Amino acid sequence: MSEKHSVLLKEDKCEGCTNCVKNCPTKAIRIHQGKATIIEELCIDCAECIRTCEYHAKYAKTNDLNQLTNDQYRVALLAPSFYGQFAGDIKPQQIKKAVYELGFNEVWDVAYAAEATSKKTYQFLKNNSGTYISSSCPVVVRLISLLYPELIDNIVPFNSPVDLMADYVKKGLEKKSIDNYCITFFTPCPAKVTAVKNPLGRKDSSINKTIAVDKVYPQILKLIKTDGFSERSELQQKYQPYLGISWGQSGGENDILNREGIIDTLSVSGIRNIIDIFKEMSVGNIQGLRYLELVACPTGCVGGIFNVTNPYQAKVNIKNNHRDYERFVDQKTNNYDFRLKSKIEEENYQKLDKDFTKAMEKLELLEREIESLPGLDCAACGAPDCETFAADVINGLAQRSDCIFVLRDEIKRLADKLSLLTHEEPPVINNQKSGD
Amino acid sequence: MQEKKVIESEIEKGYFAIGGEFSSRLKKILRRLGVDSQKIRYLAIIAYELEMNLIIHSDGGRISAHISSNVIQIISKDSGPGIKDIKKAFQPGYSTAPAEIKEMGFGAGLGLNNVEKFADNLNIKSEAGKYTILKAAVNLSTQS
Repeated sequence: MSEKHSVLLKEDKCEGCTNCVKNCPTKAIRIHQGKATIIEELCIDCAECIRTCEYHAKYAKTNDLNQLTNDQYRVALLAPSFYGQFAGDIKPQQIKKAVYELGFNEVWDVAYAAEATSKKTYQFLKNNSGTYISSSCPVVVRLISLLYPELIDNIVPFNSPVDLMADYVKKGLEKKSIDNYCITFFTPCPAKVTAVKNPLGRKDSSINKTIAVDKVYPQILKLIKTDGFSERSELQQKYQPYLGISWGQSGGENDILNREGIIDTLSVSGIRNIIDIFKEMSVGNIQGLRYLELVACPTGCVGGIFNVTNPYQAKVNIKNNHRDYERFVDQKTNNYDFRLKSKIEEENYQKLDKDFTKAMEKLELLEREIESLPGLDCAACGAPDCETFAADVINGLAQRSDCIFVLRDEIKRLADKLSLLTHEEPPVINNQKSGD
Repeated sequence: MQEKKVIESEIEKGYFAIGGEFSSRLKKILRRLGVDSQKIRYLAIIAYELEMNLIIHSDGGRISAHISSNVIQIISKDSGPGIKDIKKAFQPGYSTAPAEIKEMGFGAGLGLNNVEKFADNLNIKSEAGKYTILKAAVNLSTQS
């Protein structure tokens, strides 16, 4: 079981088809002996394999509600996208009330930290020139560190809203001298689980447990009270972070910046679209842009695989909910510690050799290897394409004869040789002895 | 280590669909060689600009990348109108691209500027109405 990742394989369900292999954006999956294997170093937990596996052999591991013990002081963190799971006329106050009733002592909105991040980002863009990329989606950050390290300096150097919120809540708990607490995040995606287990840009996370939204959704839905919800109730009185909640769907983060006057922004969701943008950016072909809100799931966080409601409906729900609310909640931006404590490191797993001269030699071998392959990218070898397979062969991770075309040629050559050999006779045998 | 040509492409005039292919292939090769990511960025930008120049301005040509242990050189050779006034071609915003190319969002007159900005060494030979040969080199002194 992986220490680093949350996206995993149920081996008994894997049929060895190559859907996930072909759809993996970082080419992290191979089929060996009829089963998929994920190369840990290349996986960014984007969940594309979970989306594309017809046999449901890929899944993501999170905690369960029953892993929380009764003596624990339980804190729930709700993602902005969580509100998209409920019909637009169900208010955040009702949803939070239901989470309290589920057995939590405190319920916090990540949307608060999202609003603060918007303000901070606005200041940052005012003080710095250039094009910047939002750091909120962990898949995007990991994709950059793995395949587009030249863009690391373009990432806004801030913690993501969920980490900011968890840090803030943790500080509050410690101030109140509560020891036996558990900060639980209801997560829309596996990448946020991985960001807790194995964070980028910081040493550890303040989040203690992550529970997939779909594990708590049915219970919460049952606990939501539509009748007797008083307009004057305590929860209703408090202003809700609607602007922060709009971060839960693609375009939400930029909408806020646009309102504040930074208009040269672009929102892109879906990992393939993001890769397209990165390709252009890395050759300097995107100009006149200040800020990119990039979310790996289509339609934004509401498109996370743990979410229950159809992402387009969820987008509508969020829009309906915050339509009439156009101001930030009152809070101090310096409640949050934005700066990432460590640098986001580049990770180059494509390197053929540590030594430059040896890498050059291997590059030549690789080119020859690629030329010897059919170039059909059929994936029958278990690698996503001929080029990746060739690199696997060079790196000793695959055998040339794993390619069925190479294998067929080899058999043909052997068969020809065999047939030639059958006509050869040892010198002691006389072929013309019968005299006819 | 001897200089070695690692990649070469033929570029057709006006064939925008392949613009960027050479630079992304080059980028992949440089990653495999473990070249520093900032240097890769410089080289990818240079390669892309030269590629686009061939597509926009030339009558077709070739672009290639040459690697030795401490320097990577990108060479583009074309037949075409050549550059009449090389000094002028380096002024930011100066462009001879036709209107329809500018409408496509290219030909802003920043191409050669970008090449000059990121190359450690730049060499142009051109004869008006005949050819242009451009050599841009990036040093790998901080090779890891």
